[in-house]
Amino acid sequence: MNEAALKSDTQDSDTQDSDTQDIVVDEVFPHALETIWKTLTSGELMARWIMAPTGFEPVRGRHFTFKTTPAGAWDGVIRCQVLEVVPNQRLAYAWKGGDESNVGYGSRLDTVVTFVLSRVENGTRLRLVHSGFVLPKNDAAFKNMSEGWKKVVQKLGAITDEQD
Amino acid sequence: MTEANLINAVMRTLADPTRRAVFERVVRSNEITVVELTRGSGVTQGAISQHLKSLKQAGLVAERPEGRNVFYRAEPEGLAPLVDWMSHYGAFWRERFTNLRTLLKEIDP
Repeated sequence: MNEAALKSDTQDSDTQDSDTQDIVVDEVFPHALETIWKTLTSGELMARWIMAPTGFEPVRGRHFTFKTTPAGAWDGVIRCQVLEVVPNQRLAYAWKGGDESNVGYGSRLDTVVTFVLSRVENGTRLRLVHSGFVLPKNDAAFKNMSEGWKKVVQKLGAITDEQD
Repeated sequence: MTEANLINAVMRTLADPTRRAVFERVVRSNEITVVELTRGSGVTQGAISQHLKSLKQAGLVAERPEGRNVFYRAEPEGLAPLVDWMSHYGAFWRERFTNLRTLLKEIDP
């Protein structure tokens, strides 16, 4: 049911290796498209499944924040700005946080979250694309870790995960 | 330490299966002593102590002496170099979609 795919989105750059990757979660919900749209665009409903936003309005250019677990020099604030609003179709916002001095969780983050809705036979398809993750330079080592390894890290990831 | 060194240090420390098992047990318990960790582990107390020392050096566990006992607890920050944003948000959004499914059932039964 929960299917997530990692999509490689290599952007060539002359200055340095700037591989960025996207997280994609794509699911069908047995609910009307308008209802799903509401859960994406009402601050009160967002708080019930994403995190509680401060200052959110589904208006292009609008700045808002999420507060999450701080790390080192980073206060844990995710700074967002609405980039695109197409009612009942598409919502995108910038999702920035972190600090240069951190590595891993809490490092500098400059990403974009995009939700795309479409009507399907038995409900609504919701596609989330969280794009712009810059991988650490020695990511090859990270990627080469065995599957068992990843499981450990995932399990332990819950510890540093956002707390509701 | 550079980012690469940090990641390498954590990876090296957790590459040993026994040490990883020790770490997982520390993570699962709030606080735990060497004696408790040794029980049922199949290795000696001395070996467990060595593993705890390595985990401590890598910043993965912290210790708190109390009387004759030393209590160990996990230091999740030590894993930060491994739990990068990408794996963090991969888990985050999958979890959020599950929340959304539950929320929709409530507001639109």
